[in-house]
Amino acid sequence: MSTVSETVIRPEFEADDLGEASHADVARKLTLWEKLIDLDGVRKLSILLVLMFAWEFYTRISGVSELILPKFSDTAMALYDAVVNDQLLIMIKNSLTVLLTGYVIGLVIATLLTTAAIMTRFGNDVLSTLTAMLNPLPAIALLPLALLWFGLGSASVVFTLLHSVIWPVALNAHTGFMGVSDTQRMVGRNYGLRGVTYVTKLLIPAAFPSILMGLKVGWAYAWRTLIAAELVFGGAIADTSGTQSGGLGWFVFSSQMDMQIPYVFAGLFTVILVGVIVESLIFSTIEARTIRRWGMQSS
Amino acid sequence: MDQGAHTAAGDTPAAAAVDPILDVDGVTLQYKTKEHLITATYRVGFKVYPADRFVLLGPSGCGKSTLLKGVAGYLKPVEGNMRLKGVDIKEPGPDRVMVFQEFDQLLPWKTVKQNITFALMNGGKCKTQAEADEVAMQYIKKVKLDRFEDTYPHMLSGGMKQRVAIARGMAMEPDILLMDEPFAALDALTRRQMQEELLQLWDDTRFTVLFVTHSIEEALIVGSRILVLSPHPGQVKAELNAHHLNHDNTGDPAFGELQSKIHDMLFADRILEDELAAAAEGAQNS
Repeated sequence: MSTVSETVIRPEFEADDLGEASHADVARKLTLWEKLIDLDGVRKLSILLVLMFAWEFYTRISGVSELILPKFSDTAMALYDAVVNDQLLIMIKNSLTVLLTGYVIGLVIATLLTTAAIMTRFGNDVLSTLTAMLNPLPAIALLPLALLWFGLGSASVVFTLLHSVIWPVALNAHTGFMGVSDTQRMVGRNYGLRGVTYVTKLLIPAAFPSILMGLKVGWAYAWRTLIAAELVFGGAIADTSGTQSGGLGWFVFSSQMDMQIPYVFAGLFTVILVGVIVESLIFSTIEARTIRRWGMQSS
Repeated sequence: MDQGAHTAAGDTPAAAAVDPILDVDGVTLQYKTKEHLITATYRVGFKVYPADRFVLLGPSGCGKSTLLKGVAGYLKPVEGNMRLKGVDIKEPGPDRVMVFQEFDQLLPWKTVKQNITFALMNGGKCKTQAEADEVAMQYIKKVKLDRFEDTYPHMLSGGMKQRVAIARGMAMEPDILLMDEPFAALDALTRRQMQEELLQLWDDTRFTVLFVTHSIEEALIVGSRILVLSPHPGQVKAELNAHHLNHDNTGDPAFGELQSKIHDMLFADRILEDELAAAAEGAQNS
């Protein structure tokens, strides 16, 4: 039993005077370099710069065909040219108009579905069954059917957009409302919130992280669906609704038909750019001002 | 039986002249889980008088939190009745403000001050925002959180969050403040500090509070009168006075005596249950 340790009794002591803590690096100003490295944007921008140079360098020394992979500088020129001379901005506007139409109508329908799902058990069953059934179906797969029903035109695209918006938005909002804690519900009722005020002043802000997540996912799905729809059927849509229409997807597709490959790349860049601007600028700003400020971000 | 408990514990003469704020009479409360219908309390009765620090004390499963939710109006009794100032309690309302154990009782999207003004405005206590701001600041100062009024709850420590919740409850100036183990999620040092602060606040404004706890020590320190409940389902075991006890005399023999008396009351059940179980086992074996 010699393995059992005995408590070692030591004399007690109390510090009389703590004095000044002295160490060179208790607090030191960061150098400019350290501050730069800490900036997210600086680090990510440098990655982009490296990629750009690698691209330019590779196309110049390998002698790869312009039709397979144009130079980065040519792509940049094409982008500039498309913006100045080829109505790329109008095409962006066309795409966004269709997208917003689908998005807004989708939000209205999602709101109705979610309201029904919260208020009644039947509505709950309807939403969960429909979501389980339709969510796995890629929206673009509905486009042939939509063209049959609504003909060639933006109505068909809007219809497919609805499909990509409604389910993620309704599902996330519903999950959010269900997840509002009993304590917060009781607090709301304690201070006299009833009916509509209970929903607007308590349930919606409490479920806001999930709601925002749904809006983000819905937007991302819709953007991808729209570009795909324009790529495949954009020509038909553009033709029927006159010149100067058609969106970004159509720009990419028609540039490819004309063998203007730098313009194909420029179009793809624009698709990325619009996506990044909306997703990271708009939604990130909303996030920073709301759920991150409130410490409610779950992920 | 309610009456009997009162006289046994030595009713103060004043109690006969003053009307109780809260009168709980023969209340049986039940709630459903997925599998069972559970009787939380069985024919529980007690009266809370103005400026009481009335404690519901018992082990887990004695229905003390359920009882508090019943008083708050979230749960209807299947038997008996609960009256606030002579009026039947039907639904939740700002005349009975609840302070919860959970920190998420503060709305995370509102600052400390907004959490209080939100309650004041929606609860109908204040008509204008300016008036609500003023009242809110007054109570924020009371719980020593000035300088933090524009902070969001997630930046605060647990103790500070509970102080905001208490300030919000007191700002409403309810007929009765309902506290559901408000300090249970705090560390021991903070808990003691909060108990002292609560008693100081009570000294200032003499509000009426119904306080739920499972700690005998906390019941003796915080409470002026203690209702001891037995578990499964909750029934009244005793109603005791503790107005003479606080942090300063935890070392007194009176404190220790009452503590062990309550301890025995709650513990007696367990011994009885153990004996019954043992007896049942013995009967089976023979």
